[in-house]
Amino acid sequence: MLTVNRERPLSPLPNEVPYGTLDLMVLKTLQVMGPLHGYGIARRIEQMAEGALALNQGTIYPALLRLEQKGWIASEWGTSETSRRARFYSITRAGRKQLSAEADAWARTVAMVNRLLEEE
Amino acid sequence: MTALRVLTMRVKAFILRGRSDLDLEDDIRAHLDLLTEEYIQRGLSPEDAQVAARRAFGGIEPMKEVYRDQRGLPLIEGLVQDLRYAIRMCRRDPGFTSVAVLSLALGIGASTAAFGVFNAVMLRPLRVLDPERLALVEPQHLGKRSIIFNPSFEDLRSRQRTLTGMFAVDDAPFLKVTFDDTASPSYVRASLVSGSYFSVLGVSSSLGRLLVDRDDELADATGGQPCAAVISHQFWIRRFQQNPDVLGRTLQARNIQCAIVGVTAPEFVSHQGGYAPDVWLPLRPSTDRKLLESHSMAFFAGVMGRLAPGVSKTQAETELTALYQQILSAGGEKRPADFRISVKPGAQGLDSVRRRFSTSLMVVLAAVGVLLLIACANVATLLLGRGAGRMSEIATRAALGAGRGRLIRQLVTEGCLLAVLGAAVGLALAWIATPALASLVWSGEAVLVDPRVIAVAVGATVLAALLCGVVPALRVNESTLRVNMAGDGRTTTGHGQRMTRMLVAAQLALSLVLVSAAGLLLRTMVHLSGIDPGFQPEHVLMLSVRDETPGSSFGRVDSPEQKSTRAALYRTVDERLNALPGVRSASVSWLGLFSQNDLWIALIDADHPDSRPQGRVDYVSPRYFETIGMQILRGRGFTDRDREGTERVAVINEALARGRFGGDEALGRRLAIDYPGEQDRPFTIVGVVRDSKYNNLRELRTEPMMWTPIAQAPFRMSSIALRVDANAEAGVARRAEAVLKDTDRYLMVREFTTLSAQVRGNIARERLLLGLSSGFGGLAVLLAAVGLYGTLAYAVRRRTREIGIRLAFGADRPAVLSLILGDALKLVVVGIAAGVPIAIAGGYSLRAFLFGVEPVDPLALVGACGVLALAAFLAACIPARRAAAVDPLVALRWE
Repeated sequence: MLTVNRERPLSPLPNEVPYGTLDLMVLKTLQVMGPLHGYGIARRIEQMAEGALALNQGTIYPALLRLEQKGWIASEWGTSETSRRARFYSITRAGRKQLSAEADAWARTVAMVNRLLEEE
Repeated sequence: MTALRVLTMRVKAFILRGRSDLDLEDDIRAHLDLLTEEYIQRGLSPEDAQVAARRAFGGIEPMKEVYRDQRGLPLIEGLVQDLRYAIRMCRRDPGFTSVAVLSLALGIGASTAAFGVFNAVMLRPLRVLDPERLALVEPQHLGKRSIIFNPSFEDLRSRQRTLTGMFAVDDAPFLKVTFDDTASPSYVRASLVSGSYFSVLGVSSSLGRLLVDRDDELADATGGQPCAAVISHQFWIRRFQQNPDVLGRTLQARNIQCAIVGVTAPEFVSHQGGYAPDVWLPLRPSTDRKLLESHSMAFFAGVMGRLAPGVSKTQAETELTALYQQILSAGGEKRPADFRISVKPGAQGLDSVRRRFSTSLMVVLAAVGVLLLIACANVATLLLGRGAGRMSEIATRAALGAGRGRLIRQLVTEGCLLAVLGAAVGLALAWIATPALASLVWSGEAVLVDPRVIAVAVGATVLAALLCGVVPALRVNESTLRVNMAGDGRTTTGHGQRMTRMLVAAQLALSLVLVSAAGLLLRTMVHLSGIDPGFQPEHVLMLSVRDETPGSSFGRVDSPEQKSTRAALYRTVDERLNALPGVRSASVSWLGLFSQNDLWIALIDADHPDSRPQGRVDYVSPRYFETIGMQILRGRGFTDRDREGTERVAVINEALARGRFGGDEALGRRLAIDYPGEQDRPFTIVGVVRDSKYNNLRELRTEPMMWTPIAQAPFRMSSIALRVDANAEAGVARRAEAVLKDTDRYLMVREFTTLSAQVRGNIARERLLLGLSSGFGGLAVLLAAVGLYGTLAYAVRRRTREIGIRLAFGADRPAVLSLILGDALKLVVVGIAAGVPIAIAGGYSLRAFLFGVEPVDPLALVGACGVLALAAFLAACIPARRAAAVDPLVALRWE
C-alpha cells in the first residue's frame, strides 16, 4: 500500500514503489501505449508489476498532475469505455526526452548498485 | 524554465480551482466506474464490486488533499480561508469593528496627510532634470541673508563661469491679470523669471515652447511684440480645458501684454516646494527699464543656478564671491568685503516656504505620530479585551487540532484585516484633508502620490497591523491553551490583563502630551490677543496697492518733475479718500504697519555725523497717526503744510528718542537718512509717538523708527489705511477702489484687509497649531477613554462572580463602585506619571511657538491632567454602575 504524506507526495514505505519511480513508470506506459486515461495507466502498471506492486490507484492522479505541470504529459477530455467524461493523457516531446534521460540515469543507478552488491 | 511553468500552471489552477475540483471528480468517477466494471467481470456482485473498486482506488479525500496541494497555491488558499474567517469575526461584532477601523483610520489618515504636506514642502526634490546639481545662489551681508539688486545680478550672471546657467525669480502669489477672453481681471499665482529659468531647471514643454534667453529682451528691442508667457499644465487644464488653441492667446499683467507661447510638462511644478505657479512671465520685460538699471530692484524670492560639470559648491562660491565683491566695489560700495555669495544645495529649490513652515510642520508631524500610536494602542487594547473573551473558542479550536502557529496566523490575519480596512478609510480621509492642509501652507498642490508618502502610509499600516495582530497573538502560548482546555474560559488572568492595562496607561500618557500642548498654545493665544499693539487696529480698513506708473523708478534716478507729479498725485488721493462718506480719517504710506517689511537704514544725527545707528523708516501722509490710532506723546504729527519746499520734518518713536538722545529733548534735533542724495538733507524732529509693535505681536521690544511726510520724499505708496465708521468697511472699500481707479489708472488695488485682520493674521500660525493640537488632543482623549471603557467593562464582566461574592458577604454598593473606580484611578495615575515627563519634553519642543508662557507651565499641565481624569471618570462610570448593579444571586449562579 502506498501512503499519502504531505511533505513528500507519494513517498513509499520501505518495501513499496521506490521514490520517483512512479513518474518514470507513468511516462514509460504512455510512451508504449499511447493516450490513456488514469484507470488505463494504473491498470497497465499493475499488470507490468505482475503483483509485485500494490498500488493505491488514486495516487496516480497527483502524479499525473505533477507531470502535466512540468509539461511532460498533456491531457485531453474524452469518453471512457463506460461512457463517462474522463481525461486521456499522452506523453509530450519534452516527456520523451525526460523519459530517456531518466531511464539512462535509472539504468546507471541500477548497474552501480548491482556492482556494489556483487563485490563480495 | 520548468519551475516557472509549474508556477504559472499553479496560479492558473488557483484561479480556476472550483472548475478543477469538478474535473477531478469526473476523473475519479470514471475511474471507479471502470474499476467496478472490471470487478464485475471478474465475477463479483455489483455491490461487492463497488466496495472492491473503492478499496483498490484508495482513500479519496486524502488523495484530493494531496492533489490540491500539488495543484494550486496552498499558502494563499490558507490565507483566503483565514481572511474569510476574519471577515466573519468582524461582521459578527460591528461595534467593535467600526471603533477599531475608525481609530486606525484617524491615525493612518492623519499621519499620511500631514506627511504628504511635510514631504511636499520639506523633502521632495524638484521634479526637474538632475536636481542634485542645482544650487541656491544667496547673497550675504556680514553673514546674514541679503538681497541682490538687478544690474549686479546681470553682471554677475554674464561674468561667472562656474554655473552653466543662472536665473532670478520673483514670486507673485496674487498677480492680477486679464486674459483676452474676458474683460474682468483675475488673480493668478505667478512667477516672474529670467528667460533661462526653464533651461537651467531642465524642464520640457507639453505644448509650444518655454521661455528662452531671447524673451529677456525689452519691448523696445523686440519692436513692440508682446512678451512671452508660459502656463502650467494644471492651469491649462483648469482654465483652458486643455485646448491647444491657447497658444497665441494674450494676457495683460501689470502694464505689459504677453502672449502665451507654451505649456509646461505635467510633472513640473515649480522652483520651490509648496508653491505651484499658474503662469510664468519673463522678469525683464515685465519690469520697468529704469528699475532694472537703477539698483532699486531686487529679487526677493531668489536666485538659482546649475553647477557646471565637475565644479563643486565651494569652487562656485569662491568665484561668485570674488566677482560679486568686484562688481560692488566698482559700483561705489565702500566695504565690499562685507558681502559674500553663498552657494547652497538646490535640489529642493528655493526655501522661502520651507523656512516659514518647517517648525510648524515638524510639530504637526509629531502630533499625528502620537495620535497614530494612541490609535494602535487603542485597537490592541480592544483586541486584547475581546481576545480574552475568545480564549475558550481558541482553546476549543486548539483541541480540535489547530496548531499554535495556525491560531497565531488567524489572529494576525484579523489584525491585518483591521489595519487594512483602517488604512483604506484613512487614505480616503487623507485624500480629502490634504488639499485643505496644503492650502494652509501657501498653495494647494496634490502631494499624496509620491514614493515617500506611499512608504509612510504603508509603514503606518504595517505598524498598525503588527500592533493589532501580534500583541493579541503573543497571548496564545501553550499554558493559556492548556488552562483553557481544562477550565471554563473565564479563568484567564495575569499576563494578558497586565498588557491591556499597560496599553491603556500608555494611551492616557500620550493623550496627556497632546492635551497639554494644546493647553500651552491656548495660553499663548490668550497672551497674544491680550497684547496692546500700541495703536488701535479696530475699524481700520487696509488696502494693499501698487503704483504702476510707467517711467518711474521710485528712487534717486527720478527727475524732480516726476517726484513733484507723484507728490501731487498722492496728495489728491489722500484728499479724496478723506472726503469719502463713512471715512473718519485716511492716509497713504510707503510701507504701512504689519506689512512684513523689515527694512532698516542708517540714520545720521546731523549734529554728530559719526553716530549712524540703524532704524526703520516709513513715508506717510498727514493723517497717518490719527488713522491708525497711534498716540503722539510730544510735539505734533504731520499737516498739509509739510510738503516739498517747506522744512523737512520727522516724527520718531520713543525707542528712537530714548536710544539716540537719552534723556535730552528729541524735538528740534535733526536726523538724515544714509541714502545717496539724502545724507545732507536732514529732517527736523517735530513729534514723538508712543512705542508700538511693527510686524509682529511677539516683538518684545520696539525698534527705533522714524516717519517723514511722503510729500517730502515721494517713495512709491503701497499701503492705504482708512479709519471708518463701524460696519462701513465694505462700502468704503468699494468707494476707495473707485477713487483710486478714477484718480489714476496706474494705481491698482491688490488686496483689501483690515488692520485687525493683519494683526491677527500674524498669529495665524499659532491659531492653526492650536486648532490642530486641540483637535488631535480631543481625539486622543476620546480614544483613550474608549480604551479605558473597554478594559473596565471587560474586567467587570470577568469579575461578576467575585463581585457577587463580595456583595453576598456584605459589601455595600458604594464599595463596589469605588472598587471599579479605584481600578480606573490606578490606571490614570500611572498614565499621568508616565505622561508628564513626555509632556514637559513636548513643551520644550514647542518653545518657538510659545509666548508669555514657559514650556513647563503648571496651569497647562494641571489642566491637561484634569481633562484626562474627567474623561477617564466618565469612561469608568458606566462599567462601575454596572458592577454596582450586580445581583449576587444571579452572579453566583452565572457559570
